[in-house]
Amino acid sequence: MRKAGLGWMVLGALALIAAGCATYPDQATTRQIAEKMVSEDFTAPTPALLKRLEQDQSQRICSKIGDAKLAQEEAAEVVKLARASFQYPQSGKLVGDWKTGEKLAHDGAGDRIQFGRLEKRKENGGLCQNCHALAPGEINVGNVGPSLTGYGLQRGNSEAVAKLTYERIYNAWAYAPCSNMPRLGGTRHLTPEQIAHLVAFLIDPASPVNSKR
Amino acid sequence: MPVARSDIAVLAVVWLATWGAAPVLAQSADPLAVGRKMLAEDNPGELWIDRGKTLFYQQRGPKRASLEQCDFGVGPGRLDGATTQLPRYFPDTDKVQDLESRLVTCMVQLQGFNRDDIVKRAISPAGSNGSDVEALALYITSRSNGMKMNISLSHQKEYDMYKAGEYLFYRRSGQTDLACVQCHGEANKRIRLQDLIHMTDKKGVQEVVSTWPAYRGGHFVVRTMQWRLYDCFWQMRLPELTYASDVSIALTTYLHYQGNGAVIKVPGFKR
Repeated sequence: MRKAGLGWMVLGALALIAAGCATYPDQATTRQIAEKMVSEDFTAPTPALLKRLEQDQSQRICSKIGDAKLAQEEAAEVVKLARASFQYPQSGKLVGDWKTGEKLAHDGAGDRIQFGRLEKRKENGGLCQNCHALAPGEINVGNVGPSLTGYGLQRGNSEAVAKLTYERIYNAWAYAPCSNMPRLGGTRHLTPEQIAHLVAFLIDPASPVNSKR
Repeated sequence: MPVARSDIAVLAVVWLATWGAAPVLAQSADPLAVGRKMLAEDNPGELWIDRGKTLFYQQRGPKRASLEQCDFGVGPGRLDGATTQLPRYFPDTDKVQDLESRLVTCMVQLQGFNRDDIVKRAISPAGSNGSDVEALALYITSRSNGMKMNISLSHQKEYDMYKAGEYLFYRRSGQTDLACVQCHGEANKRIRLQDLIHMTDKKGVQEVVSTWPAYRGGHFVVRTMQWRLYDCFWQMRLPELTYASDVSIALTTYLHYQGNGAVIKVPGFKR
């Protein structure tokens, strides 16, 4: 009896396979299919720009699907790569000019590709305003990231704070692996000098971010 | 008959006037809510539906044919409810196609248009009269208004597309380290003042799949899902997404399947 049931199951399974029963592909197959699409379905003015689509090791780790969790070793790897990416301004000064930083923080342009052309500017915008509240009372700010209003008031402007702030902007994944925050210095979107200006914008007591209003 | 340009201009002026007044009225808890409501109630995108209908039945292209024999998956010429089941697998092309890629197939095969020409013009310049594909996509989708999204996965290529779309939704790349989920994975988020739809949530994704094509206020034209995806990749600093490409169809398949059950109501209205 039991044996007969098993026989039917095997037969049924064979029939399904023969009929080519469609189902979800496994992870490796999915990756292969999707990566092929990525390699074929975009255009750019130069082949070098197409390389933007290629993932680096950290991006691969940080692309977990759904609720899949980051393993401890993976997080450690991302942190290690992030720490190795740090570069500092030639001058050694991690705190630049807050006024330049203010402009940068509100600049969301640079390096986009449209109609077969690369958006050419002297430097890229810092993108901060897109996701973070900045000076008190500023309305046109996003909330994908935490509010930075009063950043310096809460933390002061010591050397340690400056260094931590610099590194968090340069490569946030050194402190929060795979967070939503782009690795602005690590991916070369911003230069070390630009990041130093953003640090000033956040921690300088004279910056509007720290205005007590 | 094509809609007169002056009509659009008049509507645009009326619409701009209401927009300008919105912040004065909006003093409640959500200062943007009143403005949003006013925008949704008087949608200039309606004008595109008639234009799309005219284009659909007109004999056009080198073959002087209408699109009446186009099969969007429920039989040649049948439009009612067709987009509730798109993207889907089509045996004749052996591909999973979304509405827009299927439309391109028909314009090439039935009407004899050149594929590259259609694709080049598919996304119209802001402030223009819009493209044929934009108007057609809106008309065809409007024939599913009031009906529920009902994507099914049965062909192997549909399963493959869905899973590829899911993979791409979470795939981070480029100098901004972004995938879709970085901006669309949480509730009540904004980029500057623009609301971001929470797409890993059933309600949120249902809003996405039921409101495109939509009138895009800032561009004064009707935009489609293909445009929405293209524009996201642009903002992410990635190369240009090819119109009607598999990447776009994979993401659309993923989102549409997640959004099953949503009642289609187009044109949507976007800022």
